[in-house]
Amino acid sequence: MAASTERQIRISRVAGRYLVFDIDDVVHIRRHYGICAVLTGTMPQNPTQNLFLGLPVELHAEEARLLVDKGAGYIADELTDHLSQLSAMDTSTRKAYLQHLKQQRRNAQQVFDEEKAKVQAKHQGKRKAKPAAVAEPPAAVTEPEEDTSLFDTPKPAAPPLSAPPKEPSLPGVTPTTSSPLLPAPTPPSPVSIPRPANYPLYQYLNARGYYTTPGLRFGGDYSVYPGDPFRYHAHYLANSYGWDEEVAMLDLVASGRLGTAVKKSFLFGAEKPAEEGATGGGDKGGEGEVRVFCIEWAGM
Amino acid sequence: MPLDDDDNPALAPPAPHLSSPSPLPTDKTAAAAATDELTAEDLIEDEGAASQDFRAFAAALQFRKTAGVSAQTIRRGEKDFEAHGTRAQADALEQSRGAMRDVLSYTRVHSGGGKGNLARGWFFPGWWEGYREEEVEEGKEGEKKPFGFVRERVVVLEGSSVASQALGRAVTGQAKDRPARGRDWLLPEEALYLVERGSLDLWWPLKGLEELFPPDGTAEAVKEESEEDDEDDEVDEYDAGFPLSLQAAYALLIGEDGERGKISLQKFQVYSNLKRCGYNILRAPPTVNHPATKPATTTLWQWFASLLTTTPHHPPYGPLVRPGLYRSYASIYRQMALLPRHIPSATPTTTTPPTTHDPFTIHFHVWKSAQKWTKLRHPPPDFQLAVVDAQASSVPTGAEITALLGATPPAPGKPEWTGPGRIYARLKHGYRNVLVAVVDHGVINYMRFAEGTFGAEEVYGRFDFRGGGGRGGKKGGGRNNGGWGSVDCEMDG
Repeated sequence: MAASTERQIRISRVAGRYLVFDIDDVVHIRRHYGICAVLTGTMPQNPTQNLFLGLPVELHAEEARLLVDKGAGYIADELTDHLSQLSAMDTSTRKAYLQHLKQQRRNAQQVFDEEKAKVQAKHQGKRKAKPAAVAEPPAAVTEPEEDTSLFDTPKPAAPPLSAPPKEPSLPGVTPTTSSPLLPAPTPPSPVSIPRPANYPLYQYLNARGYYTTPGLRFGGDYSVYPGDPFRYHAHYLANSYGWDEEVAMLDLVASGRLGTAVKKSFLFGAEKPAEEGATGGGDKGGEGEVRVFCIEWAGM
Repeated sequence: MPLDDDDNPALAPPAPHLSSPSPLPTDKTAAAAATDELTAEDLIEDEGAASQDFRAFAAALQFRKTAGVSAQTIRRGEKDFEAHGTRAQADALEQSRGAMRDVLSYTRVHSGGGKGNLARGWFFPGWWEGYREEEVEEGKEGEKKPFGFVRERVVVLEGSSVASQALGRAVTGQAKDRPARGRDWLLPEEALYLVERGSLDLWWPLKGLEELFPPDGTAEAVKEESEEDDEDDEVDEYDAGFPLSLQAAYALLIGEDGERGKISLQKFQVYSNLKRCGYNILRAPPTVNHPATKPATTTLWQWFASLLTTTPHHPPYGPLVRPGLYRSYASIYRQMALLPRHIPSATPTTTTPPTTHDPFTIHFHVWKSAQKWTKLRHPPPDFQLAVVDAQASSVPTGAEITALLGATPPAPGKPEWTGPGRIYARLKHGYRNVLVAVVDHGVINYMRFAEGTFGAEEVYGRFDFRGGGGRGGKKGGGRNNGGWGSVDCEMDG
């Protein structure tokens, strides 16, 4: 956890939503800050399914705020940053960006070439073994992939590859992040996030090592996992209330029964309002007293 | 985990018959069929996005190089109840994370090489800003051409891709000397969706549209340019502009609700979710203030009149069902019908025309995928969809849902749903219906609201056949006794 101090997560604010685009950032916050959030983007490798989704990751406001509070990330207003960079770009930045692009294109080309070589080697091996059926199987295998554009797969000898001697036209690349283009992070976070109402409960759960995902599936504010959701099922279905808020009995019954029905217990909590009015926005020290209860349906 | 499945977006109302969504015609991958199967079969086990096991996905991608992915290949990994501190558990977690990292660090590569299927889009946000799209299209050509949202279109497509069959729109009726004439322009959600799935290379232009797409002979100019790309150095290649990242695409194309040339993140998420499922989806055209209020009021009065004539006159006091000799239940029940019932009609029956307000208004029209669907000619939509944010809105009020339903065309159930056997199919389907997609930070739930027609289903009509031993009487038996009892009470009083 200590090693994480130097990495600054760029939290992109786009139209009031908080997104993370860098895969290293995503892995980092998942590992060190217990934030898994939700992958929302289409997978370019297999774009016709909804089971596995890709970047960007959408954060809750609470999660973004937590990262900022812990000094692990900063909020960047993507639209203004991009517009200012794109419309008035100085030559050095432009050069750097294009250089970066070219590098990526070269890498892509290299991967293509390697894959191609691998396939060829494989085919040659096959040819030796089975001289009769040479051309047929590879063609059948690679054909369907070509018309669907992109996978992480070898391309069947594409036209540009056929002319290797001169500098071939490199494949185009859409980078995931525009990091070389954007200015380096300014140390103090220029944009701050208003403290969300659910923040105390979220902070409380996060500080105790729980992972949360949006609770829409189970009808609460969060689904709470005892660890990384890769490994565990959610244990709780959590709702946040105000300290003096009256909670309707029927809500408790409804949520409690619902939680029990999906093998989770219903958790609800609230933060005790601070007496002095010192709403610590800092680290764990600023965490107020949070009380949490669980309800499970006994079925007597 | 019985309830988990109900909440799964892939199983939710847009796919009421799970077998129905067939793959997008443009995506004729070998695996597409398998993926569909997968949404139906494997998602039943799935608890949600959080339980993705990228190891399986990575394995499937490897596997895919040799054959299509079978539905069984991508399977959710087993999970534990809680941490027990073993190394096996830690390793499994580490592997999952590593697989996620590997899978997600993929870079989108466009290997068209200047020819073929390279689709390049240029970002020109201001081009159509002053364009006024009126009801010209509706007036002139009848219902032929759907509303184009030309003002919202911000990305011009260079070259044609498979996607342009279903997406984008060329703006017709332009003067000959206008640049980029006949080119397809993309809406922000279309462009972003294409960028995200790796089918479109979005470029930031350094030159004006006039230079990139000269007015006449556009075709030759583009051809020239693409050949240039092949031969010249990359210095010239980036002369006209340069490619944008996914991040930049999000920054430029996602905006607040109602911002011109942008789309809100929630709507985009719903859009791409449905696109990935293979549905065809278009923005719903703005509602036209149709002068249908007059017919509506007349039908209302007609309805009142018909109500008055059929209902028997009740004296101010005395028993509800007049004493007498009754030979059928129907005549008794008819006398007991005191409250006016809601009867759906083709035109809204409220005196004030319903106006929908922003969260609860039709945003998208959705079609099940079909071979003959095109962006310009398509049948009436299969579903009407509204997108709401889970945090920013609550359950719609009666007025909101009435207005929302009023904005949808009547969609009575299938004609073969007749007779007492299909009463619940009719009731469940309703007379009008609308889908509401609730988005909670990237997690989407689809809900279906329907205008029920309970008043039109006279259950008591069957009771009279009871003595005759018909099967209708047998079926309704348990319920009728209660009804009988209440009639008794009324008569006593």
